[in-house]
Amino acid sequence: MSAMTMLWSSILLGGIAQILLKCGVSGAQKSKDGKAQRWWLGLLTSGWIWAWGLSFVIATVLWLLAVSQLNISYAFPLLSAGYVLVAILSRIFLGEKVSWKRWAAIAVICLGVVLIAAH
Amino acid sequence: MPEEVMAEIQSPTLENSTERIASKPGNRVAEMAVLGSVLFAAGGHLLIKSGLNALKASGLPSGVVPRVLSYLLQPAVMGGLAIYGIGTMLWILAVSKREISYLFPLSALNYVVVALGGKWLFGESIPGARWLGILVVFAGVWLMQRWGAGESQ
Repeated sequence: MSAMTMLWSSILLGGIAQILLKCGVSGAQKSKDGKAQRWWLGLLTSGWIWAWGLSFVIATVLWLLAVSQLNISYAFPLLSAGYVLVAILSRIFLGEKVSWKRWAAIAVICLGVVLIAAH
Repeated sequence: MPEEVMAEIQSPTLENSTERIASKPGNRVAEMAVLGSVLFAAGGHLLIKSGLNALKASGLPSGVVPRVLSYLLQPAVMGGLAIYGIGTMLWILAVSKREISYLFPLSALNYVVVALGGKWLFGESIPGARWLGILVVFAGVWLMQRWGAGESQ
């Protein structure tokens, strides 16, 4: 796999991981029985949460492999594509309503991340 | 950590707690949890970095497995990973409270805290454009929680 493929796979998988996490905690919330420990432990039995953990680990490994071959100041701002990706995925799979104000805030944050990578 | 966030960690599923807390005017549990998660995650990263710096100074074993083991067994690295774990739990708590398209961009504060921490702890330099980026991220985060929050769940 080329470094660029690994980079974009990492960003894509990292975004998917956040959607999986949201599915996991939303499912856990429905079974309210008042016990905090049970809520946290319940997460461990959730397939969504395991899928999140696995995606997160793979995305991190792909990121490390990619940046070992790419210039970090090039790779780093591309991470902000994850915010756009998560907004799109959350709309499709979770039915979140992403208002234009939220899109505007995402755009400003992406710009900031790009500038932080500058040197 | 603020009391209401502590209460939520201890009992996130108290009867109707989500509705009870989210319906309070001016409620900021998810935002506090994000802030905590960013500070812990960034603090964990900085501690890991200081551990790796210490290892570098004392020399590293050759070979991949001994090297990875020496990373993982370094006390500051272990402490950093544990603190990072606490940050992850706070993130899970936040995600259980609010929409992910609202919360995830807020995690960009991580880069700000790591950049500032790198400067103060390790003397890393922050060029002008990066200061501008830090300000722009703050502006975006402010914009998001001021105008992009929408309905809480």
